Amino acid sequence: MNKINFKSYIFKLSCLTVGLGTLLPACKESELLNPVPETSVAAELVFSTPTRVLAQVNGMYKAMKSGDFLGGRNLMLNDIRGEEFLNRLQNIFTGYDAWNHTINSGSADALSSWSAAYAAINSANLVIDGLAANTTVVPAATSVQYVAEAKFVRALSYYALITLYGQPYVKDGGASPGIPLRLKGQMSTTDNDLARSTVAQVYTQILKDLNDAEAGLPLTYATPTLNTTRAHRNTAIALKTRVYLTMGMNANVITEAQKLVPAAAPYVAASGVANTMQPSILTIFSANYVSNESIFSLPMAALDFVSGQNSLGYNYNTNQEYSLNPAGIYGNATWPATDARKTLVKTNTNGVFLTKYQNTLFLDYIPVLRYSEVLLNYAEAAAKTGNLAKGIELLTAVRKRADASYTFPATAVATQAALVNTILVERRIEFLGEGLRSNDLLRNLLTIPAKGTSPAVAPGQTEYIFPIPNAEISSNKAL
Amino acid sequence: MKKSLLYIRVKNYALRCSKVGTLTSLTVCLIATNASANEGAAGNSFAKTSALKAFSLRAAIKISGVVTDEKGETLPGVSVKVKGSSSATVTDSNGKFTIAVPDENATLIFGYIGYTSKEVAVGNKSSLKISLQPDAKTLNDVVVVGYGTQTKAEFTGSASKVSGETLKDLPVQSFDQGLAGKATGVSIGQPNGVLNNAPVIRIRGINSISLSSYPLIVVDGIPINTGNSSGNAQVANNPLGDINPADIESVNVLKDAASTAIYGSRAAAGVILITTKSGKSGKPKVNYEGWTGITNAVRLPELLNAEQFMMIKNEATLNSKILSNNQNNAAVPSASFFPSYNADGSLVDTKWFDEVYQTGVSQNHSLNVSGGSETTKYYFSTNYSKQEGIIRTNEFTRKSARFNIDHKLTSFIKLTANINYNNSLNASPQTGSLEGNAFGLTAIGRLATLSAPNVPVMNADGTYNLSTTNTLGMGANTVSSNFYNPAALLAYNTYTSENDRIIGNFAVDVNLAKGLTYRLSYGVDRLRIENKSFESAVHGPGFANGGQATNNSVLIDNWNLTHTLNYATKLGDKNNITLLGGYDVQKFRNSMWGAQRTGLSDSFYDTFEGSFQNIVPGTTNNSRSEKAFASIFGRVSYDFDKKYFATINYRRDGNSALGTGKKYGNFGGVSGGWALSGEDFYKNSHLAEIMNSVKLRASWGRVGNGNLANNFGSLSLYTSSLYGTVPTFAFNQGGNPDLGWETSKQTNVGADIGFFKDRVTIDVTYYNNNVDGLILNVPQSPSKGIPGNAILQNVGAMYNRGFEFGISALVYQKGNFSWNTNFNYTHNKNMVTDLFGSGSEIVGATATSSETTNITRVGYPVGSLYGAVTNGVNPANGQRIFVNAAGQQVQYSQSIPTGGSRWTYLDGTAAPAISVKDYQILGNALPTFYGGFNNTFKYKSFDLGVNFTYSGGNYIQNGTKATWRDQRFWNNSTEVLTRWTTPGQVTDIPRVVLGDLLSNGSSFPISANVEKADFIRLQTASLGYRFNPAIFGKSGISSLRIYTQVFNAFLITKYSGQDPDISVNGNTNTTPGVDKNSVPQGRTFTFGMNIGF
Repeated sequence: MNKINFKSYIFKLSCLTVGLGTLLPACKESELLNPVPETSVAAELVFSTPTRVLAQVNGMYKAMKSGDFLGGRNLMLNDIRGEEFLNRLQNIFTGYDAWNHTINSGSADALSSWSAAYAAINSANLVIDGLAANTTVVPAATSVQYVAEAKFVRALSYYALITLYGQPYVKDGGASPGIPLRLKGQMSTTDNDLARSTVAQVYTQILKDLNDAEAGLPLTYATPTLNTTRAHRNTAIALKTRVYLTMGMNANVITEAQKLVPAAAPYVAASGVANTMQPSILTIFSANYVSNESIFSLPMAALDFVSGQNSLGYNYNTNQEYSLNPAGIYGNATWPATDARKTLVKTNTNGVFLTKYQNTLFLDYIPVLRYSEVLLNYAEAAAKTGNLAKGIELLTAVRKRADASYTFPATAVATQAALVNTILVERRIEFLGEGLRSNDLLRNLLTIPAKGTSPAVAPGQTEYIFPIPNAEISSNKAL
Repeated sequence: MKKSLLYIRVKNYALRCSKVGTLTSLTVCLIATNASANEGAAGNSFAKTSALKAFSLRAAIKISGVVTDEKGETLPGVSVKVKGSSSATVTDSNGKFTIAVPDENATLIFGYIGYTSKEVAVGNKSSLKISLQPDAKTLNDVVVVGYGTQTKAEFTGSASKVSGETLKDLPVQSFDQGLAGKATGVSIGQPNGVLNNAPVIRIRGINSISLSSYPLIVVDGIPINTGNSSGNAQVANNPLGDINPADIESVNVLKDAASTAIYGSRAAAGVILITTKSGKSGKPKVNYEGWTGITNAVRLPELLNAEQFMMIKNEATLNSKILSNNQNNAAVPSASFFPSYNADGSLVDTKWFDEVYQTGVSQNHSLNVSGGSETTKYYFSTNYSKQEGIIRTNEFTRKSARFNIDHKLTSFIKLTANINYNNSLNASPQTGSLEGNAFGLTAIGRLATLSAPNVPVMNADGTYNLSTTNTLGMGANTVSSNFYNPAALLAYNTYTSENDRIIGNFAVDVNLAKGLTYRLSYGVDRLRIENKSFESAVHGPGFANGGQATNNSVLIDNWNLTHTLNYATKLGDKNNITLLGGYDVQKFRNSMWGAQRTGLSDSFYDTFEGSFQNIVPGTTNNSRSEKAFASIFGRVSYDFDKKYFATINYRRDGNSALGTGKKYGNFGGVSGGWALSGEDFYKNSHLAEIMNSVKLRASWGRVGNGNLANNFGSLSLYTSSLYGTVPTFAFNQGGNPDLGWETSKQTNVGADIGFFKDRVTIDVTYYNNNVDGLILNVPQSPSKGIPGNAILQNVGAMYNRGFEFGISALVYQKGNFSWNTNFNYTHNKNMVTDLFGSGSEIVGATATSSETTNITRVGYPVGSLYGAVTNGVNPANGQRIFVNAAGQQVQYSQSIPTGGSRWTYLDGTAAPAISVKDYQILGNALPTFYGGFNNTFKYKSFDLGVNFTYSGGNYIQNGTKATWRDQRFWNNSTEVLTRWTTPGQVTDIPRVVLGDLLSNGSSFPISANVEKADFIRLQTASLGYRFNPAIFGKSGISSLRIYTQVFNAFLITKYSGQDPDISVNGNTNTTPGVDKNSVPQGRTFTFGMNIGF
């Protein structure tokens, strides 16, 4: 009798002697030693059914929705780096370092923003790789759509990364060192080392992914919720207007914007989802999170929401970590009280606070791409390319939606420089707390203004962008 | 040795005698047996003389008497023998005896296992009262080893033993807290004064990096669940608190691989074997043990009072204004801190320590009943313990019962059962002192330190002083606080963790043939934990949600089934062989479920079961996992003539948590010993007169470690959640199918030496433990997007080398006075020799990823302190000076004029900011030496115990000091009164500038806060008095001892923080030696009594 048999004999004996009730099912050593997890699924199984593949597609969006990423903190970091907010509580867990420009490579925010974005990128890469390896699990057309969605997720995530960790494209045409460009799904211990691609290479990949996405994404989905929470063709186009604007490629901004913005009012996207501005801006922040204005938003629900120190509602509203800077856009004379957007604030003894995210259960959707941004992207590109009339027309459309009584002073729109500046001011008003401010400064190579006790940061200073986190430096030897 | 020999002899005689088959002859046999045991080696010759000779003696004088132990309790079964004759008897179940002696010149010899034998001249007395003293050495002669016991002579590994007697009266929640300084090679660190917080136990250093370094704890043969297992972020829950220390007979710590290898992979961090008490045959004995005591926090810092606070903080406000070149800008405030006044017009000067700390009152009562007959022995005990901590609302309550029984069913079958039921309830606020909590907004220890003293606790109307935004109201100060009012937190929010636990085992021993025993043992350890938190809508974390309650239920369940065969035989006269073989399977099943309810319907409700608007299933507290071990093991022990000893242990373990194909591992050890003093040439040498016993021992073994916290660590897994309302799958764990065992190869060489008839005993041991194939959570480039940025791999190596020395001595004994002492010393050196490739390092962060405080790097000990190097304060301008990676001095100013640089070289030119790349190793965080010095003095009926513990050779990152000096709106310790104020001033406190969290180490750790951790602590001092039992007459009381004790009496250290033993990261291997916002330890005074009936 060899050892194994002897052991199984002993084992059976054990089962006989003490094999009462609960013990019986486990009476096999190989079963005992190979338990199957009950609350997780082995990686080999996730491409086995169409339902599971779809769940992975939703999982990519969910990864972007991480509280460390577009679900909260990424937007907040981009806003508080700018001049609109004052830090009230000096808490490094709610971005004091970023507000104060004292982020270093060891800072938690430097790592968490980086890791969360790359986790979303990896989830997209795993879907792309998995669908290539499992060609029969979903119909070919569905597979094409899912890959397109994955590429949208990848593009948006890389865009969020490169604008925070890379020098502005416009500084040197993207010649600066950027970030590692990961295009293969990662699950194992290999491939730790990957050199940084240049800023230009990263943008090239983003645009390639967005062009592919535009080709593969559906025109519409079945419900307004899906039209807002998953990427459709217009979503990819809208993001392209932002990417090209960031790159200073204004002609391309116009080309892309024209796919969504007709030559004359009313401004409603002609194909796909009929994206357009809502009559009242207040609609999109509470009454209807999935209107046609919300081209892409991250949904919150009773069982899936971001709360605590990553939550925009917590930081701006509930816990009042950041008040509106009287010397920032809130105190700007061109933003009168008649503007509906100025009602999205509250005032108390601690200061003035943004209430765009005011749901007490933190169920406000997080806006990522809105139709009004496409209009202002278009307006800025038009102004920068000399088409002041178009710029003024679109700018006015955005302003009049919120404040019908307002008329821009002639000086504000008279020259190209004045108009561009006015459009930038309009963006500060329109997208306050929506995470666009830092990049609006950086893509124009503007100095980040001082606020409160936080000093100004000029484009040449190291604090102008986030440092690559220490964890990446120590494990990625090719960096 | 004596016990087992006696056993064998008893059997032999019993067998021989039973052939006669009469009652009379049996009696004779018993007498003969006891006599032979007393005679030791001479007993063999006794067997040759006729047993009947004793029977035929004519009784000249009849002597009767009673034998008691040192406590005055009667001892049954004591052998009573007439010196120089073979006449003998034993005491009955009441300790009484009657024996015939030839004349008045006769001398009686009293002998009892575990007690020093005593000779008494009969004289003209006809009735004797004899009291026997326990023989410490004899008690120590039995070593509990894995799956059995060995005699100390046979035992060739390395172990330390602690008697339960030394633990039962300590004011602790779990016995492990009481082990400090008592066992050579064992380091016990008490992280803080939070009740039932698991201590940091390290046996011969830290033996893993990513896996648990917590030893395996085996209670009566069953490996039990350990570690803070509650999954509760607020309340400490050490499962060892479920064992009543008074039930413990002994604690044996196995340290080297030769002794632990029988536990194979479970044993890499050592094994602690707990044996609980059992009954002794004789009339029932009842013992009551109780104490009551008070505990206070010690070594709290002195904080600024309201006036000092306003003075310092306004100076910081003004400095900020000046340094930012705003001295003429009226918009920038020159002062921000202003007084508040009480109704009577006096200045508000709040002592927040008084609001948070308290004098804890505790009581503990244990009652046990034990006894038995020849066939059945029982021990029943019950315990009630209610202990208050130094933090208000921190309270630990334990109710437990234990029943141990042995029953001899037939001449060849023995049954053993132990059942322990326990209910313990621990209530605690979030103290900020448990692993991962150092920076918690609710961390009460930190709040007590930093809250502004110039604002009141309560408003005049009796409500708590709160701001509209759920923070402490800041009174007249013009700055806001993001922290809670600690007094209100304590009043409105409750957190508890409650255990219901059954530990039971049942065993049957069958004597199959002479020397051959089969044992079947089945044990269960089922722990059900209920964690509850209630956070009100009024103040605290529940505010935003309108009040919230979270409940979760945790099940930690394991069963263990063991078959063993034991065979002991003799080949010839001198070859003793013991064989052990067995099969062992243990399965663990853990699950957790729970939910959070938010939006309290009415302030009336304060439990989860009340009425709320919403319910959300717990996202992190719903889980299931399982793990199993299946093993075969064996042991061969051999000795020749009790002079040469050898033991071989082997175990093959299967572990479900490892990768397919890697689940099984082979472990084992060999050890040998030589009783030099047993050799004739030695016995005849002069040396033998001084060094009466010398034993040399050596061992080598290989044990494994597969104690993965993650039961499915080898698998790549996806989990589901929701995206809005639709289901998702997401990659959540990168697995490694090749995940295998960590192995450690341990060499152990030592000697046990006795001097002056063992009045002084010394043991010395050198050990070398090489660990390789370390399972590390190897960091993956974050850009790969792997969840957690890490995957478990077998890479890396390290060693622990050291030296242990223990000495026990009866220093003095004359008349009524005696002094026993024990001193032990352990030196340990830990070194990481390999990680995962060149330049690889593991960064350790305090409180998840909040602050990088430690680094594990090749060539240094695990978890060395890490941070920025500082070089004092610049006398010219009061700025903190840092040293960057290039060795250049860089200074920092929080406030600067527009366009200036906060970081400058000493000449004022702009410098790059200090960052992680400038960090250096700041010191070794692991003690290099530690031990204890324990003394017992006795004078007449008084006893005095004085026990010191000491530790050192390591450094602490005193991050709490950074909090004490933080220049945000936080209160400071009075140290800041020596801050820099004038050019040329030399001080170690930088110029205060409002908002400056960097200069004193709150932003990242700095070398200025690294301090040596050497200390000596008077761990316990106790004074007891034992009453003469005679005074109780027939009241039924047979013994009474009363005592008073102080626990954690004082500390001698240069460490300027609260306690150098502190560890805010608990048992985490890679982040030792960090003091960050923990509450200190308490000092406890108790008064107690032990009564025997």
